[in-house]
Amino acid sequence: MSDATAGGDERGEKRTDGGESLSGISRRQQTASGWVEAHALTLVAVVTGVVLLVLFYYPIATVLVEAVVDDGELTFAPLAGVLTSRFYLVEIIGFTAYQAALSTVASVALGLPGAWVLSRFEFRGRETVRSLTILPFVLPSIMVAIGFVATFGANGTLNRLLSLFGLGPVNLLYTLPAIIVAHAFYNAPLVTRMTTAAWESVDARTVETARSLGASPARAFLDVVFPQLVPAILVSATLTFVFTFASFPIVLALGGLQYATIEVFVYYRVQQLAYADAAALAVVETAVSLGLTYAYLRYEAKQQTAAFGAGAQPAPRKRLLPESLRGLSARDVLSRVAVSGYGVVVLLVFVAPIVSMLLSSVTAPDGSLTTRYYEFLLQRQATAAAFQVKPLPAVLNSLLFGVGTLLLALPMGVVMAVLTTRRYRGRKVVDALSMAPLAVSGIVVGLGLLRGLVFGFEAFGYRFTVAGAIAIVAAHAVSAYPFVTRNVAPLLGNLDAKLVESARSLGASRTRALWDIELPLVAAGVVAGAAFAFAISIGEFDATVILATGSNSYTMPVAVERYLGRRLGPATAMGCILLFVTSLSFVVIERFGGRSRGV
Amino acid sequence: MGGLAVSEIHLDGVRKQYAGTTALEEVSLHVRDGEFFTLVGPSGCGKTTTLRLIAGFESPTAGEIRFGDEDVSGVPPEDRNVGVVFQNYALFPHMSVAENVGYGLRFADEERRRGRDERIAELLELVDLPGTGDRDPTELSGGQQQRVALARALAPGPRLLLLDEPMSALDARLRERLRLQVKKIQSELGITTVYVTHDQEEALAVSDRVAVMNDGRVEQVGPPREVYERPKTRFVASFVGDNNLFEGELVDVRDRPEVARETKGLRRLHVRVGETVFEVEASSQGSGSTGEIAGVEASQSPRSDGGSVAFCVRPEQLKIDGGENRFTATVRETEFLGETTRVHLDWEGREVTVRAAEPPEAGTAVELGFDPGDGHVFEDQL
Repeated sequence: MSDATAGGDERGEKRTDGGESLSGISRRQQTASGWVEAHALTLVAVVTGVVLLVLFYYPIATVLVEAVVDDGELTFAPLAGVLTSRFYLVEIIGFTAYQAALSTVASVALGLPGAWVLSRFEFRGRETVRSLTILPFVLPSIMVAIGFVATFGANGTLNRLLSLFGLGPVNLLYTLPAIIVAHAFYNAPLVTRMTTAAWESVDARTVETARSLGASPARAFLDVVFPQLVPAILVSATLTFVFTFASFPIVLALGGLQYATIEVFVYYRVQQLAYADAAALAVVETAVSLGLTYAYLRYEAKQQTAAFGAGAQPAPRKRLLPESLRGLSARDVLSRVAVSGYGVVVLLVFVAPIVSMLLSSVTAPDGSLTTRYYEFLLQRQATAAAFQVKPLPAVLNSLLFGVGTLLLALPMGVVMAVLTTRRYRGRKVVDALSMAPLAVSGIVVGLGLLRGLVFGFEAFGYRFTVAGAIAIVAAHAVSAYPFVTRNVAPLLGNLDAKLVESARSLGASRTRALWDIELPLVAAGVVAGAAFAFAISIGEFDATVILATGSNSYTMPVAVERYLGRRLGPATAMGCILLFVTSLSFVVIERFGGRSRGV
Repeated sequence: MGGLAVSEIHLDGVRKQYAGTTALEEVSLHVRDGEFFTLVGPSGCGKTTTLRLIAGFESPTAGEIRFGDEDVSGVPPEDRNVGVVFQNYALFPHMSVAENVGYGLRFADEERRRGRDERIAELLELVDLPGTGDRDPTELSGGQQQRVALARALAPGPRLLLLDEPMSALDARLRERLRLQVKKIQSELGITTVYVTHDQEEALAVSDRVAVMNDGRVEQVGPPREVYERPKTRFVASFVGDNNLFEGELVDVRDRPEVARETKGLRRLHVRVGETVFEVEASSQGSGSTGEIAGVEASQSPRSDGGSVAFCVRPEQLKIDGGENRFTATVRETEFLGETTRVHLDWEGREVTVRAAEPPEAGTAVELGFDPGDGHVFEDQL
């Protein structure tokens, strides 16, 4: 009997003669738990896929179906109605695109000088300012809206300042410029951050080469530096357009009744229970957003393959405050004046709204200090009628939904990060499907969840309904997990594949290596992603307001909006509480996030 | 029946293709139990691919890989019981030195797990890094990190040790010291080792046997001395050490290799290169067990009368004013290498290199020569 045959037959058992025998090779594969471990990633991926399907794609599909099916019959009437109506095309869709375009121009105009200052000048707090550009992503948009009302409203900070000089009052609220400036508040930092990154990766030697070949400084900038910034500017502008095209709370709060974007109008239609119209509008909006996001992702992918700037040596930064005034050229003086002017604009646009909100929450209409708005909240908590919004449940709901979002978004985001950094067939499809929630507005997700899950669906002869609170967590998780993915995936992608190979040759299964090696090494990204997810959940307004209407599942942002409908004071007080909770998440992001974050 | 030793590796007709490109054409190898076996070749020759196939990080497109008698295709790397050391060390940055070394013991049997701490200490001792267990791997120098990586790979008591260019990131002097240490540990443990390097000098220095690879194929397998002294192909002749290649044709039909092959023992071939006829000895190869002679490659594709043939002479065997086969060449330039000087000469448009203690000046004509026994014949494979 040859040993070769014996060895083959006995596979799965430990050999006794050889000590370290090969015959033990396949034993792990043969037990049930071994199978689970070997396929753990696949299983979790499938679960994630199912969750996405139920919580995102199915609800979105119901919106689409609602737009084209009436009483079980295919009809294009609602869509055709939207696309042939002058009102919808011009007043709603046209206006949405118009304000998005203006907002994009304003954001780029406001953001580009910031990139110039951050990448070309050295000053105290530069790093801090640079990391503050992440802030808009975690600031609740309804809070920003409150800040703008507190700044530019009839009793706002601006008019108070003007009245000191005997001027005013001016009314900037409920005008298009107010909307556009608020959008710039959100998106200019995005332009700044992406362009700064591009600027810092411009190799100084390329500029020096151009200069040595005879180009003037201006010419070298135009020929060498600017072309390298264009991709970042285009990408951030596209993202700004997508975000502002789907802007909801800012337009709702600052646009008044004259200005309505598609989002706002969908919201009105949902409130009037005109679901078919709402669905048709939502489909148009989603198509535009998805198209633009697809273009963005294509462009981004192309840029990444073309990039070869690793290891570039950026030009040294100039000191913003020169050590002595001697030897300063006119050019130098002019550039410092420009930076100072820009600083004033930045203070006005970014700091004033937040400060105004804080001030308004403790200032009576006559200008004296007061705590009455906070007392109002306490009193409302004690005596509110059932239909009124209480502050404490709003805070508790927000925290509860935040935790729920974490529990759902964190595993989903991490699994997606793993899946998008592996190489396999169809990866691009997984990539696109997993990032689609970024491009679909909260209102549409909320509408879909409301119509698809909260109102219930029939399957296997049963009628399934999902509680509003769970639907809200679902909506938050769907909009939050891409941020987890974007924080974790770059770290995972940069990990040396040989670390995992070493672990495996030492006896760790693929899943075990993920757990022992990869996850600990991307922990910073996971924590940052978690903070993002939490902050996004806390600040989410669009889907929440749709799903919380008429229920007790309202959150802090919804409470802010409800109070805003009556008086500014209590709304700003509520806004301050929201700011406090959000700041805590931001501290965590800053603490752990480091430099390696995505969008 | 013999050949059960589990630490043997057999590769049978192994091919590896990636989308569109072929990394390994067809490789058949046999690594013996306890042997220090080196895969050497230029970058892109397939040596690292071969190692990754053995480790199980990749699976072959065709062919079979066996450890001992067992076909390991489909066996994941964690179940192959193979220790791997990479060029960049790949130490786990979030673990201490001891945790790195002990990582593989987490998956070992009960007995090994219990003796974990002693085992870690023992291995750190073995690689000459005692007492470094609590350190952070990033605090260590490159050479120390590489030794930690070696200790980590050896800790679970693997049946094979695979080393993928482990010295390439280190400076020359450290490399020489570390390779001696690796060789010493290897022979103490008697562990079958496959070593990948692009450095032919390193390969010759440490190996029991060497496989020279080129373009996804194995060109020659043998002990370092045999590969150096009797290269089978022109590629091996030029890759392993400096060499002077001469291409010519057999002058006499009786010299044709297939005729020569039938004659055991020494035989002289007459080869015309340009206008000069050299006498070159075709001798029995290696152990003699195969009975092949130097020109054996030629016999596989016999040519018509004469037939083209190539042979090489090592620079150190080409003498100035010495040897039986003489020719005159012109000195082009000299390179001072310390212990010796390399002299580049031009002989009727061909480049020739010799070593000289006292080099002639550039531009002078020099008479060169070599003995028939120092010319090594192989088939012109053009």
